[in-house]
Amino acid sequence: MRNSRHFVLLVVLLLGLLAGCTAPAPATTEQQAPAAAPAAAQPAAAQPAGNQVVIAPGQPIRIGGSFALTGPIPDPGKDIRQAAEIAIDELNAAGGVEGFLFELVAEDGACSGDQGTVVGNKFAADPTIVAVTGGTCSGETIGLKPILLKARIPFVSPSATNPDVVSADCDVCNRVALSDALQGEVDADFVFNTLGLKKVAAMHDNSDYGKGLAEIFQNAFTKLGGEVSSFEGVQVGDTDFRAALAKIGANQPELVYFGGYSTEAALIAQQMRESAGLENAKFMSVDGAYTQQYLQAAGAAAEGTYMSFVAGDAQAEKLAAFTEAYVAKFGVEPSQLGPFHGQSHDSVIVIADAIKRTAQVDSAGNLVIDREALIKAIRATAGLEGITGTLTCDAMGECGAGGVQIFIVENGEFKQIAGFGLE
Amino acid sequence: MTSTIRSSTSYRVRRQAATTRWVVRGLGLIGLALLVWRVVTVGLAESYPLSFWISQALNGLVLGGVYALVALGYTLVYGILLMINFAHGEVMMIGAFTGVFALQFFTALGWMSGPTTMVVLALLLIAAAGMLGSIVTGVTLERVAYRPLRGAPRLVPLISAIGASLFLQYSVLLVFGVSPRTYTRPPLLEGGFRVGDVFVPYTGVIIFVLSLLLMLALYLIVQRTKLGKAMRAVAEDKGTAALMGIDVDRVIVFTFILSAALAGAAGVMLGFHNTVVKFNSGFVPGLKAFTAAVLGGIGNIPGAMVGALLLGLIEAIGPSALGIPTEYKDIIAFSVLVIVLIFRPSGLLGEVVSEKKA
Repeated sequence: MRNSRHFVLLVVLLLGLLAGCTAPAPATTEQQAPAAAPAAAQPAAAQPAGNQVVIAPGQPIRIGGSFALTGPIPDPGKDIRQAAEIAIDELNAAGGVEGFLFELVAEDGACSGDQGTVVGNKFAADPTIVAVTGGTCSGETIGLKPILLKARIPFVSPSATNPDVVSADCDVCNRVALSDALQGEVDADFVFNTLGLKKVAAMHDNSDYGKGLAEIFQNAFTKLGGEVSSFEGVQVGDTDFRAALAKIGANQPELVYFGGYSTEAALIAQQMRESAGLENAKFMSVDGAYTQQYLQAAGAAAEGTYMSFVAGDAQAEKLAAFTEAYVAKFGVEPSQLGPFHGQSHDSVIVIADAIKRTAQVDSAGNLVIDREALIKAIRATAGLEGITGTLTCDAMGECGAGGVQIFIVENGEFKQIAGFGLE
Repeated sequence: MTSTIRSSTSYRVRRQAATTRWVVRGLGLIGLALLVWRVVTVGLAESYPLSFWISQALNGLVLGGVYALVALGYTLVYGILLMINFAHGEVMMIGAFTGVFALQFFTALGWMSGPTTMVVLALLLIAAAGMLGSIVTGVTLERVAYRPLRGAPRLVPLISAIGASLFLQYSVLLVFGVSPRTYTRPPLLEGGFRVGDVFVPYTGVIIFVLSLLLMLALYLIVQRTKLGKAMRAVAEDKGTAALMGIDVDRVIVFTFILSAALAGAAGVMLGFHNTVVKFNSGFVPGLKAFTAAVLGGIGNIPGAMVGALLLGLIEAIGPSALGIPTEYKDIIAFSVLVIVLIFRPSGLLGEVVSEKKA
């Protein structure tokens, strides 16, 4: 009896091992010296060296993607992933690069710095990854950043808005989304000048993104001459904010500004109505909460709340064509899931465009992509027509077009009342 | 000769233990004094109005009521099996999920927008559905994950419980996805009333009253019914209880049913209070409820109630009283746990654990 149990255990373990062995090993078709110092690229005869990706005929150009598929904003994460797939489909339908087709290698960055690090290491260890689109969240992307910088893999984030996502010392870091430095200031200006409110409270969810944005807002609002009566943090995943709101309510602010994501934003909007001192206060949140899920979760409490969004300079015709392809493939309107599909599409085409400019076919018919050249080529992107406008990357890696838009919720829908694109 | 050596060593060990105890108690007292000093200075500096403290206390009581229902589950199972059912938070989460599906069902039927009696009936049925969902989960857990390990060393079912907890969380993630489900409140539960400057939400009142009623019901079941008597007998001594003709397995299943029903009710009520439920929304409340059970004295039913209400109050009032941001409320809750355990290792109302149980 005892022995047979041990035997069963052994069999299970062995099966596990076997399963581990048969798991798909990355279908690498080329070798590369990842340990070699990237700057000292010394192409030896027939052997690819340095920071090059060599793709044999018939093999795809693999682009990594870090998407927040789990974590606090799964729907927008899914939207960003699906938009990237549509962009890849478009590129492949147009013939790819020299007959080589693109492939998206999607990983779950889970909107967290920890998971961003895991995904980053995975990509860094995979010599077939040419470039990365993502991550979705700022914390996740800040987790990716040092790893990809060290591995010399360029990335373009569609939606990470925290100012620290790109920096002067990071030449692989790029994004299509606009920086929160802009969003926080526009929001503060809107609240102070347009709404005419002088005393507000700022809240955040302790994420890199939410806290960063709330701080920018606080500084900008104070600079304008307003008073920020409380600055309170909560946790992503919390559901009861009544203690924090009671504390904020004791100071009687006219508006609560929340830097964070939709679930928490919806709960705060709801619980504010049940907190002394905040029954009549207005609520404003930011692009992380600008989703259908917010409207649905907050219900009646969403009415009259404000939302800001770092919008692209939407190209109506291109967006319509994109939406049609998206609905045909996934059976859902992209805007039902999240706001950043245009940016996600454009992140992929920024990468693809730079690959087109740098890739070369060698004598054996292989496609050779030099990542160092690619890193420079992405920064040299200029006048690229995307869904979110004409994309031009600056020296910091800011590639986005557009501006900040401000919405109010009316009859269960977002209605733009100020900001970019509204004359 | 040898005996003198041994006695002198044991004397030294005893003296060391006594010294350590006094050092620990001294540090605890100093900590407590610092705490009181901080509360007083912050209270003087911040000068919140009285209504603020009352509304924070009400928040705490509501939170405590929910914790109490879940904590009772930990305590009941511990009392009988001497094991911590770490999957109990997930039992609650599944109850909340069943409740949200029942809610969607009744909304589709149009009951939620019907006359008041209809809405109340629907709410009761939703609560019943949530409790049923939890009961099925709890009983299955007992049968599959715990009963086969009953004779095993104490750590084994504990590991099994942690595994079951993760299994349930990720099964729900796999089946229902990662997006949170929303409890859409009927207008009946929306809003609240005012007493002076204090706002009291309806859901809060309902949670507090219902959890008190459920605790009373549990108390009556354990103290006044035959099955309750059997439960107490099994908790006292399984072997002897079996010799007296008590079906121990049945009593254990009944215990799991009771604790799961309470958790299911807590899950549905928390759902209506906080309006969202997702695959991991049982984890943190479960941990807090476990803390509450330990705080009150694990295995002790009134202890779980007192511990939970206390923990809820500390969490709600603590951050403002100490003048630190509310995001650190968990630090305060767990610090209190540590401080209480230093002075009363068996919890606030816990009896001294007998040799047999320890």
